[in-house]
Order: sequence, then structure tokens, then C-alpha cells
Amino acid sequence: MSFFAPFCLPFMAGAVVMFALLLVKWSTWFCGMPRADKMAVLRGLPTRKTLAAVWEVVSESLLHRRIFRINPVLGYMHASLAFGWFLLIAVGWVETVACLGLRYVPLQGHVFYKYFAATESLPHLAVFDQAMDFLLLVVLSGVALAWGKRFCSRMMGMRRTTKHVPGDRVALSALWFVFPTRLVAESITAALYGGGGFLTGGLGGVMEEYLSPLLLARLFEPVWWVYSLSLGVFFAALPFSRYMHIFTEVPLIFLRRYGVRAGDKESSGDRFRTDACSRCGICIDPCQLQSVLGIDDVQSVYFLRDRRYKMLEMKVANNCLMCGRCEAKCPVGIDLNTLRRNSRDTMRNIPDERRYDYFAGVDRSSGEGRVGYFAGCMTMLTPRTLTAMERIFAAAGEQVWWADRSGGVCCGRPLKLSGETDSARRMMDYNAGLFRKHGIATIVTSCPICLRTFREEYDLPGIEVIHHSEYIMRLIRSGRIKVGRGEEKFTYHDPCELGRGAGIYDEPREVIESLGVLVEPHSTRENSLCCGSSLANTVISDAQQLRIAEGLAAELDATGASTVVTACPLCKKAVSCAASAPVKDLSEVVAERL
Amino acid sequence: MKRRVVIIGGGVAGMQTALRLHAAGIGSVILEKDSATGGKLRDWHKLFPTFTPASEVLDPLRRAVGAAGIEVRTGAEVVGLDGRGAVLADGTRIDGDAVVVATGFTLFDARIKEEYGYGIYDNVLTSADVERMLNEGTLSMKNGDRPRRIAFLHCVGSRDEKVCQRHCSRVCCVTGVKQAMELKERFPEADVFNFYMDIRMFGSGYEEMYREAQVRHNVHFVRGRISEAAPTIDGRIQIKAEDTLTGRPLRMSVDMLILLVGMRANDDNRRLADSASLTLAPSGFVQPADPFLHSVESGAEGIFCVGTVTAPKNVGETLAEAAAAADAVADYLKNR
Repeated sequence: MSFFAPFCLPFMAGAVVMFALLLVKWSTWFCGMPRADKMAVLRGLPTRKTLAAVWEVVSESLLHRRIFRINPVLGYMHASLAFGWFLLIAVGWVETVACLGLRYVPLQGHVFYKYFAATESLPHLAVFDQAMDFLLLVVLSGVALAWGKRFCSRMMGMRRTTKHVPGDRVALSALWFVFPTRLVAESITAALYGGGGFLTGGLGGVMEEYLSPLLLARLFEPVWWVYSLSLGVFFAALPFSRYMHIFTEVPLIFLRRYGVRAGDKESSGDRFRTDACSRCGICIDPCQLQSVLGIDDVQSVYFLRDRRYKMLEMKVANNCLMCGRCEAKCPVGIDLNTLRRNSRDTMRNIPDERRYDYFAGVDRSSGEGRVGYFAGCMTMLTPRTLTAMERIFAAAGEQVWWADRSGGVCCGRPLKLSGETDSARRMMDYNAGLFRKHGIATIVTSCPICLRTFREEYDLPGIEVIHHSEYIMRLIRSGRIKVGRGEEKFTYHDPCELGRGAGIYDEPREVIESLGVLVEPHSTRENSLCCGSSLANTVISDAQQLRIAEGLAAELDATGASTVVTACPLCKKAVSCAASAPVKDLSEVVAERL
Repeated sequence: MKRRVVIIGGGVAGMQTALRLHAAGIGSVILEKDSATGGKLRDWHKLFPTFTPASEVLDPLRRAVGAAGIEVRTGAEVVGLDGRGAVLADGTRIDGDAVVVATGFTLFDARIKEEYGYGIYDNVLTSADVERMLNEGTLSMKNGDRPRRIAFLHCVGSRDEKVCQRHCSRVCCVTGVKQAMELKERFPEADVFNFYMDIRMFGSGYEEMYREAQVRHNVHFVRGRISEAAPTIDGRIQIKAEDTLTGRPLRMSVDMLILLVGMRANDDNRRLADSASLTLAPSGFVQPADPFLHSVESGAEGIFCVGTVTAPKNVGETLAEAAAAADAVADYLKNR
């Protein structure tokens, strides 16, 4: 029992190339990671995080539960291919052990066991024949669905699918060939040598009935060659194609569980993220640049592809609203926005040492109190919000330290979004120092952009950072302000940075419900649309931004609400240009009813 | 049978068209959505560049319309039209042999540029407020004081992509110069600043006015837009701007901030255009059949357009265009 036949060579070569490349790639990526990240992995290894990661690998890499949640048919397609193939390999392994006992069998012996069992008269067990046929049928159903998806992706809830690069098409074609050729090869083997389960045995029986034994004997070796070639081509193409995700998602899950995430600067560990993208294209449909403006080459799938193949252009990296709608849907859970930001950092971060020297010693803040209020640049441009906050603070009898009412320094996020990470850091350090100096316990901001930045980027020990929606909700709950409730109908727009960005959905709703009736628009909470005025996009024109705002405004107007409420100065400005109902900040509608 | 033209809009464009048609022996009916004719000019104080009181233009027109016995229907809002008449909001149909659209423009709502504080802080006014207050003789600060420093901001709602008004409203530059001179005359002790992107002095006598404002009235012109306005503790308005000629940012406290609001297309242009297959320019103004030989024809049969419904224009241009429109209508009726 040599477990070798010449037709095995393409498969063996492909497998060797694939495993060698995987090993080289993974070890280079891992070694190049920052020391802190590597230490986090080492420290995490002997903890429960490892078990959690193993479970996540089963549930996501094999079962694809997140895709099931997006669309059941799409989920079944991915699961049948991934989990089905995995079981074919695993059960095949058990089959050889069950048939031959515990002994060394080379890789090709497992993969082509049906061939060797027939030609070398090895034992085979009927129960495995049936089980393996069932699994093959499951995988084949997945392949059939994948074909179907080419022609009718809407069936699986996808309006648009990814445009693939030629390398992907080679790998894809090879993958589509693997299982049908396996079916044919095993069926012919069953026709000639007997055996096989309900599928291969059944098809073998039909072949025996209708085809001449001479023809079958002539086809026998070639079909096994084709099967081996398909596998070999697929394996060799895998490290260069989208199918790299099959293996790369596994280390990515472990890294994530150990707390290693994408950061402000590009790292070789990011390769685990870019290469874990399966280019499924689920990120395309949620993208409003696609659905409203018809821009179809900048979405996360294309951004990651371009970055992976080192052909990323600034106009792709910068053409993104960073609204997070795609990130929320990504079945692999890749840090899409962070990766895009650190790409921009690589392309754009040219710190100007002197440009921000004027910060030194500047303090235009006024007032004194345990509560600080940071309006932010955009609230300064929408002063109705500012005056409303003044009235609310006065009504609550709050002593307020005004951080920037007479001018201040930006929170740093716009610069950071544009890639100028180091300059942004100088602004952040300045503001953090200012907050610490004035001894405040709470900083309230009415801008979700500032909020997120304070929470995620600032080192503010002992200072609670809250959004004005949270602050107002607390005032109402504790009875520090009384608001008049009427029958007015409001609708609420979730700002990207506040909702998906900071997870604040319920607080503004609670405030609105204490004022009147809240009606939800069609896309709400995690699915809420972007207003289009995002600071993150430096490519689209004002007119294009307006078209995105018009799409959102149409949904908000369709609720029939008499006032559109939002809680972000940028969203307010954008929507008020497009909506027919008046658009107000949460603080304004509260201040009007004090 | 006597021919009748339906004129939508009773401003200077509509009235002048009706008068010119009357002179040619053609009757017309003016449909005015407000309670009186005169349009925006009713609230205007004086006209550039001659400081002619607006009433000296408007009153003769109104008297002539009355004397000619031209039918005027006020409170008549048009919701649809075709080449043979217009439909009012109450469903009444007004028939005619041709239709002239003279619905004018809408003043840009300065509250949209919230950063300038219009409607939020005291003493932030629009150019239209200034005209009205000059007419009423009430121009002063909210507390009755005389302003010591006044800033005009040009291009509010014009040439501003952010508020989707890309076009130049043309007349605001010279209005800013005119009002600066009027205010300087009323408050000689005040410093008056004009913040501008460009000064576009396109008409006869305008450039001379601009020069006179600087030389005789000592009005200051600063090239740079104001980015935001905020109240100060002593009730003044602090503005932030950049002097783009010196490349330096500046802050200045003023007692009065006057926003020179632009002319934008009426919201119902879309509805009217859809009802009569008229073409709208990207700016939202009605696009004439061509800008040269058919500048008062809409391209749809029997429908003509005149005045600021097609683009920002000054009063003189509008009056001259009305004569051209009446001529084109008469020609159309004769050959039909």
C-alpha cells in the first residue's frame, strides 16, 4: 500500500505550495506585529479566551452564523461549502482510521481513499460510504447555490455582488470543478469496482447501465486526474486569492479574542485582517455611496483588495463616509474603518511641527463647575444647539465650565479621519490637558464626533464623558428639569457616530418620548442611514453629499412627523438642507418645552 | 374675440408685461398670490445706483395698471399651468390665449446659515430687514442704541455649494455697497466693514459707487468670508473671518451684522415646471428656450417667462425684459 498514483501529483504540489506559503505569510505577519500585540497573544493563550476563540472559529469560520442572520440562503451556501467540506475531510479521516486501523496514511491517501480502496482492494464500510455521499451532496448543493448566485444574487438578499479580479476567477473556477469532478470520479470508481453510497453508488449504477465498461475504464484515470488538478490549482491559487480568507479568518479570530485590534498605524498584523476578507460583497449593499451615487469601486471589499495587492489609491481610501454601515454587516468582523484610517495615515500623515504651536498656553474657557461643556466646532456653527444647552443648564441650576464657548481647539477627529494622526494627537493632548486642569468630573458634549474621540482617544482619568442626550435624559429622570409633554409627532435620526459609533440609541429616544410621540423612520438604530456630510469623506462633492442627505430626508419626511430630531450638529445641517419638516437638535426641542 | 394673456405674478415684471401688452391692444389678467401687487419691491427702500426710492418705480406702475383697467386677482396662488391658462390653488381655472410666468424669486433664508446667528442673536439682520427698517425709519440696534461698528457679509446663500446655491445672485454686491453708504449716512460715527469674496460691479454706475463708498464714505472692504458669529458678554457680536489678502485670521466685535441674502429659485418652480413641461436649470430657476434669441420664451408653446423667475436680475433689467416678453407674446398671438 504505497498510497501513490501519478494523478496525485498536482494535488500534492498544490497542497505543498499552499501550506508553505501559509506558514511563511503567517509567521512573517506575526513576527512583524508590535511587541505589545505579540505579548497580548502570549498572555492570552492559557486563558479562557482561547476556548472562546475556538468556539467562534466553529461558529463563524465553519457554520457562518453571522451570514445566516443576514440571509438564510446565503448562510446555507457558505456553511454548506465550508462546514460540508470540513466534514468531508474530517469524516474521511475517520473513515481511513476505521477501515485501516491506526496507522500512517499520507495526505493523498486520505483525500483519494476511494481510489486506493478500489484499486488496492482496501476495506470500505457502508456507513461511511453513505455518510460521505451525504456530505458530498451537501457541498454540491452549496456549489449549485453559488452558481445560482452568479445569475440571481437577489435570491440571497444581495442586490450587488463583488466584481472579482482574474486571480479570483481562476480559483473560483477550480473550486467549482472540485466537487462535481469528485462526484464523477467516485461514481465511475463505484461503477467499475462496486461500493459507493446512495449518491456515487447510485450514479455509478446508472453509468454501469448506460455506458460501456470500456469507456468507463478509459475515463477512470483521467477523471481522477481532473479532480486532483482542480484541487491542486485551487490550493496553489488560494494564498493569492480571496480564498486566503478560509485559513486567515482563524488566526484573526484568535487575535481579536486576545484583544489585538487594528490601530492608528498600519501594522503587519493588519495582513491578518485584509487577507481575512472573503470578498463576499455583503458590504456593498449597505453603502450609500453605491446605492445613492452609484460609486462602485470604493467599498470596503475593494479597499481591502487594493490594499492587499498594494494598489491602493488615495481616491479610493478617502472616498468613504466611515458611517460604519458596512462594518456592522461584515461577517468576518474586520475593523474596516480603522484599517481605512491607518491607510490614510500611511498616505497622508505629514506632521507639521509648528502649525499647532499656537495652542501653547491658550485657554479661552470660562465659568466654573464640576460639569464641563464642550460645544465642538460644529456646534459653534449651529449655535441654536449651544443656546439651547445654555437654557437647559440654567434650568437645571448646573454650574458649568464652558470649555470652548469663546473659541477652542478641535477634538482632533477630522484631522485623524484625514490621516494626519500625529497632528490630531497634538490637539487631543491639548484638550485633555485643558479638561484635567479645570478639575471637572463630567464633560458633556453635543457633538457625537467629539464624544467618540474623548471616549476612545483621550486619557481622562476620573472624568466621565457623556453626550448631551445622556445628560438631558439624566436631568429629566432625576426631575432636575421639567418638560411639557404634548402630542407632537417627532421622528429621530440616529447619527452614525452616536449610534453605531458610541452605541447610544435609547437615551435620545427616551428624551423625545418625554416630549411627545416618537415615530421611527424605515432605517433606524443600527441600520440608520448616513446624512452624507461625514467629515471622513474628502472625495465626493457637496452636491453628492446633498443627494445622500435627500435620501435620508425622504425617509424622515415619510414618517409624517412634524419635527425631525437628531443629536449631531453635522447631521442637523445636512438634513435641514434636504428635509421639508423642520430639523432640530435634541437640545432645542427640550429647551423649547422647559 | 378679445385676446387675453394670463400673467402669473404681480411684481414689476408682471405689471410691466401687462402694461406693454395693453399698449399693444392685448388684454391680460394678473394673478398675484399676495394681497397686493408689487412683489419684493414693496418692502424695498431705495434702488441702486441712483438711490431712487422704490416707490418711484412701483407707484407709477401700479397707477398705470389701474388706469388701464387690467384685471388683477390677488390672493390667487397658481398650482399648475399650460399654454392656455393656469389653475389656482382652489381649483379655479383661468383661461387665456398665452401665459406669462413672472413669479420672481425667493430670498435665501438666512437661518439656514445657522453659524451667522440670524434669528438667534439680536442685531443680526438681513439686507431685506435693513430695507424694511429704513422704510419704517426704525433702523437701530435692538436696544435702540446707535451702532458703532457694522459688518456686512456678502454672498449669504449665493455661490455657496454647502447650501446648494451655486449661482451668483448678482445684485447683492451693489446692494451691500448701497446699504453701507446709507448706513454711513445715518450713523456717520460708525465703522462699516464689508466682508466679500469678490465684488462684482457689473452695471452702469456701480463701480463708481463702489469707489465712492471707499473714498467718500470710508467704508472698509475686507476680502474674506465670515466663518461664524457668536454673542459676546456685553451683547455685541463677535465675528471670525480671514482677511485673505493679508492671509491672517481676524476676530472683530460688531454691533450689527448684516447678511446680504441671495436670490434663489422659488420652491414651487419644480411643481409649475412639471405641470407644463418647462425646463429648470440646475440652480432651480426656469431655463428659457435659449439665452439669446428666445430668452423670454419657455420652450413650451404659449408659455413665456420674464424677470427673476429665470435668473437673478436687477429692477432695470426686469423692466426692460418685460417689454421684450410682451413683444414676444404679441408676436405669438398674431401668428397663431
